[in-house]
Amino acid sequence: MEGVVAWLIITLIKIVVILAIVLGVGAYLTLVERKVAAHIQRRPGPMVVGWHGLLQPLADGLKLLTKEDLFPRYGNQFLYNLALVMALVPATLVFAVVPFGPEFEVFGIKVKPILTDVNIGLLLVFALGSMAVFAIALAGWASNSKYALIGSMRKAGIVVSYEVVITFAVMGPIILAGTLSTYDIVQKQIEQNLWYVWLQPLAFVVYMFAMLAETGRVPFDVQEAEAELVTGFTVEYGGMKFGLFPLVEWYIEVLSLSAIAVVLFLGGWSPINIPFLGFIDPLFFLGPLSPFVWFILKVSLLFLFVLWLHWTLPRYRIDQITETAWKVMLPITFVNLVLTAVIAPLVWR
Amino acid sequence: MVKRVFERPLSWIERIFFLDFIRGLSVTIRHAFRKTITTHYPYEKLTPPKRFRGFFGHKVVDGKEPQPAFDEWVERFKIQVEPGKSRCVVCMLCKRACPVPQLFEIEGEKLPDGKRRVSVFNMNLMLCTFCGFCVDACPVDCLFQSDIHETASYTRRDSVLDLQTLERIGRDWQRRREEEPDRIWIDDYQRQRLWHENDLKLPEVER
Repeated sequence: MEGVVAWLIITLIKIVVILAIVLGVGAYLTLVERKVAAHIQRRPGPMVVGWHGLLQPLADGLKLLTKEDLFPRYGNQFLYNLALVMALVPATLVFAVVPFGPEFEVFGIKVKPILTDVNIGLLLVFALGSMAVFAIALAGWASNSKYALIGSMRKAGIVVSYEVVITFAVMGPIILAGTLSTYDIVQKQIEQNLWYVWLQPLAFVVYMFAMLAETGRVPFDVQEAEAELVTGFTVEYGGMKFGLFPLVEWYIEVLSLSAIAVVLFLGGWSPINIPFLGFIDPLFFLGPLSPFVWFILKVSLLFLFVLWLHWTLPRYRIDQITETAWKVMLPITFVNLVLTAVIAPLVWR
Repeated sequence: MVKRVFERPLSWIERIFFLDFIRGLSVTIRHAFRKTITTHYPYEKLTPPKRFRGFFGHKVVDGKEPQPAFDEWVERFKIQVEPGKSRCVVCMLCKRACPVPQLFEIEGEKLPDGKRRVSVFNMNLMLCTFCGFCVDACPVDCLFQSDIHETASYTRRDSVLDLQTLERIGRDWQRRREEEPDRIWIDDYQRQRLWHENDLKLPEVER
């Protein structure tokens, strides 16, 4: 009985901490994105609200919350609101299986900094990732607007193509680790003294592209396409409802997929890895905190890389995007999968 | 001769290692760490070049009028020349030149000693296109366009410049920039400091 209560309390604390971190960080990533975008274009970005615009997300949130809540005529109110929930919940749920660090002990209780270490963690991630397409399709359909519908159809096309690609891309690390649990995959990489990015560079590149496509980042942002489609499926949303979609798509999803990429390819919370040499930890002086710092560092570097790509590249056409997915990336992942499946049992272990 | 330019197809090396991506990324990262070029507008202001077409003003009589044109016009119209007042000789050439003439309201008055001077000179800038034809037409270098460009106001009344306002803008201009040689924008090393010397207290200009 006592064990159950302790487990409940720990889980609740974990849920609150993870939600607070994810949503708070998600809000502040808007500022990071604006700053990065601005500096790439040699502007300073937000400077007025707070020191170098540090309070800008709060001001934006306040503005969005106090705006009028508009609803398009002849739209479907139920689906319109359901789309929001469908967008927000799966994106945040992914963090349930993201391991932030190794197991540690507080007051004699062993705590894994992962909400649920289910043994099908990765399956859960990509199942929840596929749910995003529902939200977008519903948002476009319920808005009763041509722009929104076109945007959502484009996004649905992209997500359907890249969901296949991303699933095949992560097969390689799964075969190497022999498990679907995110926590165990990191453990395996630490035990085997090797990040899987060194063995699976192809899969990593394909994963990065698929991640960009799933989150609607440039060069795959046809569903937003400010120039042609205003902002795609979010056209008819107003106020905070409008704010939620980019928050979910551009920040929370990118964050969760970067975290999964770090777990799969970059060894989770492990320090820098050089093949045949093992792990080198320049942050050893942080002691037990160093794994957490490494994890956060890797995720933020990956996120900054995505931003960097976003503000550099132009946009592909929809046909080019799906063509790349089906004709280039999928064969590459097949080749990668077959090679891994054939060679890994012979050489590995 | 038509020069035909074709897009060079990417080589396989470029395709495999994303070399064109890397080239683009290196450009953006180099720019990201450079100094920004923004003017923080309400806090920092650039002074426009001298030939900027901003608010209008009347230059005042200060002994630097274009001669002999000024003396000829004064003689013809028997204008009372008073230092520190507008150079306007009420010739109406500005109104003639204007594409929207009704924006000018110009009247002269006759003084008891038989001389004349300008009494009303209103410009309704709601109608103005800032084309500068009136400035070109002015024979005595009286009407001119200043560097004042923050022309927003709360009422329509404020957008009508009357004679006093025009003279004030003119006096301010003659104090600040009359001596300055014409420069093109990029050579104007003084533009950073010049704006803050503006001590005009117009309702439109005040912040």
